[in-house]
Amino acid sequence: MIVKVLLSIWMTAIIVAAFFYADAAVGFPGETSRILFFHVPQAWVATLSFLLSMIASCIYLARRNLKADNLALSAAELGLLFCLLATASGSIFAKAAWGSFWNWDPRETSIVILLMIYGAYFALRSAVGDPDKRRVFAAVYSILAFATVPFLVFVVPRITASLHPEDTMNPAKPGMDPKTLKVFLGSLIAYTGLFVWMLKLRLRLLKLEHLREPGYIINEKTNLEGEKG
Amino acid sequence: MKSGRWITETGSSTYLSEAVAIWLRDLRGEFRTRYAVNAILMFAVTTLIAVSFSIGSFRIGDAEQPFLYAVLLWIILVFSALSGLSRSFVKEEEAGTMDVLKLSARPQAVFLGKLFFNLTLLGALELIIVPAFITMMNYEIQLPGLFTAMVISGGLGLGAGTTIVAAMIAQASARGALFSVLSFPLLLPLMITAIKGCEKAALGTNNPGWPEVRIAIAYSVVMIVMSLFLFPMIWEE
Repeated sequence: MIVKVLLSIWMTAIIVAAFFYADAAVGFPGETSRILFFHVPQAWVATLSFLLSMIASCIYLARRNLKADNLALSAAELGLLFCLLATASGSIFAKAAWGSFWNWDPRETSIVILLMIYGAYFALRSAVGDPDKRRVFAAVYSILAFATVPFLVFVVPRITASLHPEDTMNPAKPGMDPKTLKVFLGSLIAYTGLFVWMLKLRLRLLKLEHLREPGYIINEKTNLEGEKG
Repeated sequence: MKSGRWITETGSSTYLSEAVAIWLRDLRGEFRTRYAVNAILMFAVTTLIAVSFSIGSFRIGDAEQPFLYAVLLWIILVFSALSGLSRSFVKEEEAGTMDVLKLSARPQAVFLGKLFFNLTLLGALELIIVPAFITMMNYEIQLPGLFTAMVISGGLGLGAGTTIVAAMIAQASARGALFSVLSFPLLLPLMITAIKGCEKAALGTNNPGWPEVRIAIAYSVVMIVMSLFLFPMIWEE
């Protein structure tokens, strides 16, 4: 409860700061550079949840622990949500800054593939009837999909050829304005916090759903509790 | 995974001999029914005719031909493969022979046998469709060696990436559509690489070492190794 309140205050402060405290970066049409405070953290959370989902899938295959599968599923769901948010917000920026909503820029290509993998993951989950099979198949698919990602480095043109602004927008490089950097890092924390909070809610909901299914109370209670198994 | 299941094993059968036995059995079954061959080949021929009829060999300007023809060729190959390659496992599920197969061979051997079978199908597909495409579209290729290597390694990658997906969707509902949906994101890096390689072969830009062919082979090796690790888990479920 207290976390939720703190998070909403922090989030509000970041939104206000993004529009009134930080200055708009030079070299961008109008106020468009302020997308940095929303779009980049969304993309970061999408990537984070993809990674988390893959790790949880590995754990599920090794231990067959129901908790790990719940984590993989919830991370994938939230990943899809943030992926869509990042795509939509990036697309609006692309129209304003580069002239068209979609340009097949390297990062746009990779996010489309990520969206397709997530889509396939949920299609697979919904098509397998047996719950145990469903979990194993989803985990296997998630690992397979992750294994193909490195090959994108070869096919997608180098990041230097990207339309994405690098120097004034990358906090690792010295070109960023200190005010912008502060708000950006605050926003990263806010979005990661939001992700963790939503993930915990989803995990609690999944646990309750399992408890409602009569078979699971008997068969997998030990797994749900975690300590006894 | 559970090694106790093969107590009766005499030691005379190896992974490879079991895999070859499954491969030959599938080939024999395929010769009798010709289901997968017909499905894949007719799909490919129909698509090729549709493409050739609507575009012809003069519509696309000379400058764009190397790239656009490579795109068309790989779209035909990938989607023909997606239309029929799931057959290898769906067949077992429909005939109810899945359980017997689980008892009679080790999981990795089953995977390899099915992989060989799918690669045979893909080889037959490419042997017919690629020359037909080249003649019908009047596709001029400057480096036939690179082109052949790209087609072969691309076919290897197609088989490597889809066989384990076929094993999963055979046990799911809505099989046909699901196979394409699941396979396509996995095949996309391979497809883009193969298109690039074929374009270079047609243009005659000879990069030493054929990087595209090597990427396709690396992709195949990664997918086969991952599948050998992961296949027992979906097979035992």
